[in-house]
Amino acid sequence: MAKIELLFKKKLDRSVLFICILVSFLLIFSNNNQRIQNIRSTTLDTFSFLYKPFNWLDNQIFLTKKLEVLSHENLKLNLENQILSSNKIENERLRNLLKFRKRNELNFIGADILSKGVNSNMSSVLLDRGLVDGIDNNSAVLSSRGIVGKIVFVSDNHSVVQLVSDIDFRLSVKIIPSETEGIMRWIKSDICEVVEVQTTSDVQIGDVILTSNLSIYFPPNLPVGKVISIYKESNSSNKVIRMQLFSDLSTLNQLFIVDKEG
Amino acid sequence: MGFNFSRYLFMAIILQLIFAELLTINGFQPNIMLLFIILFSMPIESSSRATIIGFLIGFFSDLVLFNGSYLGLSSLVFSICAYFASQVSFNFAHRNFDLYWLSLVFLGTGLYSFFRYDFFFFNDILFFLKNWFSITLYTFFVGFVVTRILGLKQTILKDA
Repeated sequence: MAKIELLFKKKLDRSVLFICILVSFLLIFSNNNQRIQNIRSTTLDTFSFLYKPFNWLDNQIFLTKKLEVLSHENLKLNLENQILSSNKIENERLRNLLKFRKRNELNFIGADILSKGVNSNMSSVLLDRGLVDGIDNNSAVLSSRGIVGKIVFVSDNHSVVQLVSDIDFRLSVKIIPSETEGIMRWIKSDICEVVEVQTTSDVQIGDVILTSNLSIYFPPNLPVGKVISIYKESNSSNKVIRMQLFSDLSTLNQLFIVDKEG
Repeated sequence: MGFNFSRYLFMAIILQLIFAELLTINGFQPNIMLLFIILFSMPIESSSRATIIGFLIGFFSDLVLFNGSYLGLSSLVFSICAYFASQVSFNFAHRNFDLYWLSLVFLGTGLYSFFRYDFFFFNDILFFLKNWFSITLYTFFVGFVVTRILGLKQTILKDA
């Protein structure tokens, strides 16, 4: 009798494990289902209060450092702005002369970071803007310096950004001035690699990297980073370019989402 | 019961939030919820009960703590780890307490990485291993500190 009981118990344990695994797989494979999306959206809006105290604490701890960085950045941007203003007038005059098409101006939606991604397997942040603010899935997200990621999930009042530092993140980029194109992927901290770059391309250390015209989600010419080293891939005819992101991912605070409607 | 479920669950959630918001290293953070479910399941005699609790906590973690991304992944990993954790015999756990939870953390983070980064498993194994080992080592470190500070070995073995 005891043996039967033990056998039944073992069978029950294994059956429960089997059912749990089965249900988990069903959930994993129905992640894009509308009902699941609605549940995720509701829970995200309901439980977002959990992140607020930690985010506030984070802001307080790094406030002085952030202020210092912002002041430095502000000064640099002011100087750059003066040079760019004169260049803009000249550029517009030349474009008019050549009868170029007018470029679309981008609009941005500002958002505060609520949580720096409570996920040990995905580098993401939670923003306090959602569908009601006009945020769309797959919109490009920038800091004041350049690209930081894209929107991967939107609820009514919140959205989740997949950061450049997520190892699944890929971005089609071009290197200026040679207009060489490649695919960017993250390596460590603020260092990324641009792969699929032809050996014949003329790329120099210090060249600027922008989003390319090939990306479906990212508008062209958004700043990404600069080249810091170049080497040849073994067993391949391609070059690999190491780059440093313009954005400092460790001090993110406010982000800007490209408004697709705008 | 020495291992107070709600108290330790609350602590695990708070710790997970603290590490996620303030103490990430190079983008990596420990999986405190996985650690919690392994340690909590060790004294549970009924494996089916441990598995169901693992599943439910995994579901909660995916929805609430992990921003709702990859719903079902934590349920899967936590169910499997809870099942194996509850299978341990008292004598084995007494002699190899650290080794046992370390092995299960290694298995759990490995499963996470495999499902999340399957592309790299087949295309860039070094990248995959780097991600897996970084999360595992950080979880090991936090696990060691937490189990020593809270005297969890004694509490768990008393219940086993």
